[in-house]
Amino acid sequence: MTAADDAAIAPGRSVGPTSEFSLFFRVKPGEAAPLRAALTSLQDTPGYRPGDYGITIQTIHEARFVLFDDDTRLAFITSFDGPWEAYMDDFFTSGPTLALFDAVFNHVEGYEGLPDVAAVRSFVLGAEQGAAAYARNYGGTVKEIRKAQRVNAAFQAVLDHPQAAEALQHPALQPLLDEAAD
Amino acid sequence: MDATTGVSLELDDIQAGALYERPSPYVGTYLLLCIRDRRDGRELVRRLRRLVEPATAVGPVGETSVTVAFTYRGLEALGVPQASLDSFSPEFRQGMAARAAVLGDTGESGPERWEEPLGSPDVHVAIAVLSPDETQLEQVAVRAREAHAELPGIELIWRQDCHQLATGRTSFGFKDGIGQPAVEGSGRPPTDPRERPLKAGEVVLGYPDETGDLPPMPVPDVLGRNGTYVVFRKLHTKVAAYRSYLRARSATRAEEDLLGAKMVGRWQSGAPLALTPDEDDGELGGDPRRNNDFGFGDDPRGFKCPVGAHARRANPRDALDHEGSVDVRLHRMIRRGTSYGPPLPEGVTDDDGIDRGIIFVFAGAHLKRQFEFVKTQWLNDGIFIGAPLESDPLVGPRDGVGSFTVPQRPIRRRLQDLPPFVVTRGGEYCFAPSLSALAWLADLDT
Ligand code: HEM
Repeated sequence: MTAADDAAIAPGRSVGPTSEFSLFFRVKPGEAAPLRAALTSLQDTPGYRPGDYGITIQTIHEARFVLFDDDTRLAFITSFDGPWEAYMDDFFTSGPTLALFDAVFNHVEGYEGLPDVAAVRSFVLGAEQGAAAYARNYGGTVKEIRKAQRVNAAFQAVLDHPQAAEALQHPALQPLLDEAAD
Repeated sequence: MDATTGVSLELDDIQAGALYERPSPYVGTYLLLCIRDRRDGRELVRRLRRLVEPATAVGPVGETSVTVAFTYRGLEALGVPQASLDSFSPEFRQGMAARAAVLGDTGESGPERWEEPLGSPDVHVAIAVLSPDETQLEQVAVRAREAHAELPGIELIWRQDCHQLATGRTSFGFKDGIGQPAVEGSGRPPTDPRERPLKAGEVVLGYPDETGDLPPMPVPDVLGRNGTYVVFRKLHTKVAAYRSYLRARSATRAEEDLLGAKMVGRWQSGAPLALTPDEDDGELGGDPRRNNDFGFGDDPRGFKCPVGAHARRANPRDALDHEGSVDVRLHRMIRRGTSYGPPLPEGVTDDDGIDRGIIFVFAGAHLKRQFEFVKTQWLNDGIFIGAPLESDPLVGPRDGVGSFTVPQRPIRRRLQDLPPFVVTRGGEYCFAPSLSALAWLADLDT
């Protein structure tokens, strides 16, 4: 990337470890229907189906594609862990994600397509708009949240044990006991 | 042409010291010069050009090498045209001191506390002379001195000697310089058979890099091509504090060694925890065919090697492959670090006030996505391992105190109140040009 590229990009905002990242595109005339179809099939890809929680980029909290302005515009809006400019190069050498997105990007203006990764890179970065405001309701990285969910599931399993109340009597377990009542 | 990769690097134009290993054992000197007079500056470059060996000239093991590099200010002092200066990477143009906040060089490590004249606009030319022994070093050092001594417009502003400690280890007691990537076309085979040699453009400008592109290269071509960016940092190591910390948290000497190894990711001998998690194995540590032949894929939770250990942070190898967010090959680096200062005698845990540490040296084509990425995302931060509050236990900057998690069954061990063990004394971003670029610089007539 040249110095000029660097200056042109408005980096996203961060809250704690997490950064927001939004891209805005113009849909090619007449391609709204195939674009919707491509998004539906992305939604059907293992990992991207509701409840799968398996987005190939594992540091992404969530992601959405939004068609708006009578299907003439497309937004891709996400948030992920780490300062985003550090990870842009990695995104573009990550084959699986690029291949998935290729099918979507093909329907928007300015996209030249794979395999020219450099062109895809400047195309995507050109579509980026930093948020004017960004807030989150919980801290923590995807890794920490997944760990927290595993720990809570384990804790609930402990509470379901018939002798849980007795087992949690040890003073060292007081913080857990405090969380055990509801 | 490299028979194994089919890539040809113009080895006769690349500075040997930028591409190849230093000798071991070694002695060496780093010199920083200030160009007060442009004409003398160009004469200096002409003379240095004769001292620098191309990568074709060296044998398989390190011989005496002279490496010459310039800061942005140095190129400016030589009269490199503005359009050309502007074509260097933004980080290089800013210089290391200006990047301090990004790099975590604050507080005790802040540029305002750096050793004079590091970080100042007077640092123009950096010369590294590394040699297998004192006699050879002296011979070359004399010639390097002659190159500048009789030029009144050139001032020697800093000198730092370095030498391998008798133990062959660095000040904290560890063997260093093991993990290195191989580079396509360099003719040197990988020490980690799981890691394909890096595309030449990751290290040398003018060749395609891992993204398939040419790295951004300064103009004109003759100035940029076959050059590489070089980072040097003088890093003071608080050995007494490090030893006291480990001692206070260990019941036995063996436990102390284990905790130390958990922080680094290797035992003192260099043996990787990934291959020998429970005890040091000196033979393995010293065997270059085996001591870098490992991954972390079988140890995602870090029971053998903690995910936060220095060497695992600095090169996660296959540990992040399934995450889809990072391509480790974009964040590799050639390291050419050396030791300075005397060792703290074995067993001593009181600070003797003597300066000792490493001269950290990086070579690569991308300051930002190699050196700065590794330093900021992997060493200074813990977001990528799901521990945003933890930094590298050995080299991480810590304003107050930090923590370090050692995964173990049944209960992880968390080391608290971890003070900083490494302090930045200064450094600079440099550019080590090709031999033809040196000639071009000497012949400038702006
Ligand atoms: C005083 C400061 C430092 C000390 C004492 C130190 C020490 C070590 C040691 C003992 C190793 C393991 C042996 C080896 O593979 O060579 C190592 C590996 C490494 N260090 Fe450092 N280091 C320091 C600073 C840094 C910094 C600032 C960086 C990068 C910005 C860095 C990057 C690396 C890399 C890339 C490896 C190789 C990892 C691998 O390939 O397995 N180190 N270091």
